[in-house]
Amino acid sequence: MPDASQHTESQEFYAAHQKIYPREVEGRFARLRLLSFIVLLGIYYALPLLRWDDRQAVLFDLPARKFYIFGLTLWPQDFIYLAALLILAGLSLFFFTALFGRVWCGYACPQTVWTEVYLWMERKIEGNRSQRMKLDKAPASAAKIRTKALKHTIWILFSLWTGFTFVGYFTPIDVLANKLVMLSLGPWETFWILFYSFATYGNAGFMREQVCLYMCPYARFQSAMFDSNTLIVAYHPERGEPRGSRRRSADPAQLGLGDCIDCSICVQVCPTGIDIRNGLQYECIACSACIDACDEVMDKMSYPRGLIRYTTENSALGQRERILRPRILVYAAILLALCGFLLSSLLTRVPLELDVIRDRNALYRETTEGLIENVYALKILNMDSKPHRYRLEAEGIDGLRLVLDEPQIEVAAGTVQQFIARIQADEFELESRSQSIRFHLQALDADQLQTVEEARFVGPGRN
Amino acid sequence: MDPVAPQKLPRTQVAIAVLWPSFLVAIAATGVFFSAFNPRELIPFNLDIEVSPLAAYSIGFFCFWLIGILAGYGTVYFTVTNARLSGPPND
Repeated sequence: MPDASQHTESQEFYAAHQKIYPREVEGRFARLRLLSFIVLLGIYYALPLLRWDDRQAVLFDLPARKFYIFGLTLWPQDFIYLAALLILAGLSLFFFTALFGRVWCGYACPQTVWTEVYLWMERKIEGNRSQRMKLDKAPASAAKIRTKALKHTIWILFSLWTGFTFVGYFTPIDVLANKLVMLSLGPWETFWILFYSFATYGNAGFMREQVCLYMCPYARFQSAMFDSNTLIVAYHPERGEPRGSRRRSADPAQLGLGDCIDCSICVQVCPTGIDIRNGLQYECIACSACIDACDEVMDKMSYPRGLIRYTTENSALGQRERILRPRILVYAAILLALCGFLLSSLLTRVPLELDVIRDRNALYRETTEGLIENVYALKILNMDSKPHRYRLEAEGIDGLRLVLDEPQIEVAAGTVQQFIARIQADEFELESRSQSIRFHLQALDADQLQTVEEARFVGPGRN
Repeated sequence: MDPVAPQKLPRTQVAIAVLWPSFLVAIAATGVFFSAFNPRELIPFNLDIEVSPLAAYSIGFFCFWLIGILAGYGTVYFTVTNARLSGPPND
């Protein structure tokens, strides 16, 4: 960061916020972004509506403490997968940032996606950039109030739908819809719908680029992933400068001008209100609106496109570009390894767990036959989507006997059930006062559903 | 790098710097905490109260947020005050 700017920068920091009125833009990247927005919003609003068997396909059921993701049911015990997934998301962000720069910011970040939707609604209601600026400057009038009221009503309705969908990821959305219609939403459901709606309304309607500038941690540290081969949006100063307006027919060489006609459209379309011609700035979210805008102007002037373009620092300096570089290879290797780990552990995951708790009331008891008996409470978690019957075995002491209170161990799908197991052993077979035994649980109808759990067996000990 | 400028941060800036990171941390903390502990098993002193899981998670989230806010505000308070104490007099 240049030192000279230190002073002005701190002033800028404290300057009152000026509202930005991004000008609408058309072009290849604008179309690509639109496609990305439609796909992402489609996923967000449609995902909770999908069904899988007889339940919601994607549901983070907090009360039941189970996460359903299509065919997969995750329990709190599976927290490791969620953690791995988050690490995976973070690493992918590093990887794609190193390769393509801030594509995340420009094409996929929820802040960008919803801001663009709200901007689109604003445009439909209040008109284009100059109409919006004029409307905001105009004194209060019935027409102005009507337009503004309409905009905010539509924004709020859209926010409420967004908030409702969000809560629909945590409470079955059909139940939620039913409750909404019957006006019997719970207090916390209502609260979270309103909370999320308000956040959407505020972030996409008002905060907009300020979220990127002041609140986004990624915007602050993304430069650490950048190198001179990372894709950036950049102005070509050698070609553009000296900038200046001219007539379409004029020959820039004769006037001593570069290709930039200084129309400032690249500044007007920028959603963060910067001038890309000043070089790479951390405010730039690489949305490529200025590329499309400038290309259009270049077309009109019959100049070649690409005065503002996607490029890399190396390419801009006329040096060789390298896609495969150590940083990329390292990110890719870690990413692949983690993907492999996640996938293999998901595939080999055993949806069965056995918890053994020794009865704490008595250390041991002697049966009428003279055997030493320990009592255990067994908690069996059947995390599978089918009910199963199990066979339980115990080992660790010669000739031990396992006695179950119930003849059959059967656990319904996705439930926890408790059983009482008694282990009886001959005193003379015991090696010490307390020794370890193992319970082995095996589903009768599926070989891979098995687990082993250790426990202590307490006896009188040898004298 | 300059030492921290002996000025007061604007109020909104402080609010964002305190509320926002603590909000993010509270989400993570809520996730980790309630993966390990079922709210049903957390009711203290054997109190006979009925708390819906959603309420428990929500209250837990706000407690974590509050803790984060306290820590964040403490950080802001001490950095700003220190810089002011050692820097040239302001206003």
